[in-house]
Amino acid sequence: MRRASRSAPNILRRVVYVAAVVLATAHARAQEAADYFRQNCLSCHTIGGGRLSGPDLKNVSSRKDRAWLVKFMLDPKGMIETGDPYAAELLRDARGTVMPLVAGMSRQRAESLLDLIDAESLLDKSQFVGITISDRPFTQRDIDLGKEIFVGTTSLTNAGPSCISCHTVPGLGGFGGGTLAPDLTTVFERYEGRKTLATWLSAPATPTMQSVYKSKPLDPDEVLAMVAYFQHTLQRNPEDASTARLNFVLIGLGGAVLLLGLFDVFWNKRFRAVRRPLIHASKLEKTHE
Amino acid sequence: MAIESAFFADQILFIVLPYLSLISFLFVSIRRYFRQTFTYSSLSSQFLENQQHFWAVVPFHYGIILLFVGHLAAFLVPRTVLAWNSVPLRLYILEAAAFVFGVLTFVGLVSIVVRRFSDPKVKLVTSPADWVILAMFGVQIFTGLYTAVFHGWGSSWFAASVTPYLWSLFTLNPDITPIVAMPWMVKLHIIGAYIMFAFFPFTRLVHVLVVPNPYLWRKPQVVRWYGIKRLLRSR
Repeated sequence: MRRASRSAPNILRRVVYVAAVVLATAHARAQEAADYFRQNCLSCHTIGGGRLSGPDLKNVSSRKDRAWLVKFMLDPKGMIETGDPYAAELLRDARGTVMPLVAGMSRQRAESLLDLIDAESLLDKSQFVGITISDRPFTQRDIDLGKEIFVGTTSLTNAGPSCISCHTVPGLGGFGGGTLAPDLTTVFERYEGRKTLATWLSAPATPTMQSVYKSKPLDPDEVLAMVAYFQHTLQRNPEDASTARLNFVLIGLGGAVLLLGLFDVFWNKRFRAVRRPLIHASKLEKTHE
Repeated sequence: MAIESAFFADQILFIVLPYLSLISFLFVSIRRYFRQTFTYSSLSSQFLENQQHFWAVVPFHYGIILLFVGHLAAFLVPRTVLAWNSVPLRLYILEAAAFVFGVLTFVGLVSIVVRRFSDPKVKLVTSPADWVILAMFGVQIFTGLYTAVFHGWGSSWFAASVTPYLWSLFTLNPDITPIVAMPWMVKLHIIGAYIMFAFFPFTRLVHVLVVPNPYLWRKPQVVRWYGIKRLLRSR
């Protein structure tokens, strides 16, 4: 009897423990899915915030069964190529943009993302409704601020690096912007305007940008200024980077030649001539004697 | 499948390789220091030929030392580098200066190779390891200069993207996402650096670890040529 009374709380304790672990795991999994969605899906999809490059995912489970959705998420291109009529319809709605294969996608992850989307669809306002930036017309001040952020003279609130580090746009002067990543002259058009570009900028989806800005996101005011600036650059023609590049190389070569000249002048007697003149003088002395 | 195998290659090249090179660098450098102490030398060939030598050793060393310091600064104080670069003119000055030193290193390397080929005495003392290390420098300088011209502005994106990746290696929590999408010239430069680190302790590069720093501030010592006649007379 005593043994039984002692083991009852033990069992209860274990049940509570297991339940806590299960709940914690489920919570961690949901959180992981939410982070993954924010970093990989939100640049093209909202939940209840309307269409971006991809469709609004609110209540997506009512549109197609789960097996179909998982299959599509695992290989969007392959699904379109099989001639599936609904995949073809999605492609038409996206004006020919094929959903890319998302890094790290697996069957298990697709399932947990769909769980997340289902749960978020029940809410009045999902956390993934997309960024809301003001609809007011852009002002010259927005454009100027956007340029300052682009070149770095105004630093970002969360200390993200400036755009010029990797990107260029026309009219920067000097040697222009960075050439590691694409020219952003027409990015406003490529990202189909204000809302999509703003959402993309709030959670950039390319691996390089995502890893940099995940912990240093742009705030909504900065996003607005950047969108304004990119709408402004759209009116200009992309600059040919080769002139700036040639100037950079020529200045580099000129600088190197100048330094070589200085080495020659200042170290005329170093390395090359410490002993040589002495030997020479000594030989002269020898011949004179 | 293609994506997965590319991902696998990245893991090998940017996680496994750096750790292997670091182990090689530390283990072999220390072992060689204690077991073959007197081989820790640059094996100077200045006594064999000292005219061309100037145009090889001076531009090469000034170039490579400043480039190394630049890379080290972006790794150790990335925020300071980004703050300096927040004014475009300063960014352009830094990038142009780095390119100047890149060109100097290139000029120095070419002179070194020409000298080691053309002077018979110097050629005789050049080992296969020397040629390998010169070839590695060639790859690093080419990919570095190419990156400077076609994938600018490295001083900023190194501090923003490459530094977090390198720190993730040092904190034993490797994360290659900041660099997986980099152009292959940049990747080649990073891989080349790891291979050089691994090969470093097997070559004359070990002289970098035993630089006689007091030379910088000690008084100059000139060894004078003492004419034979004068020597006899003094007796």
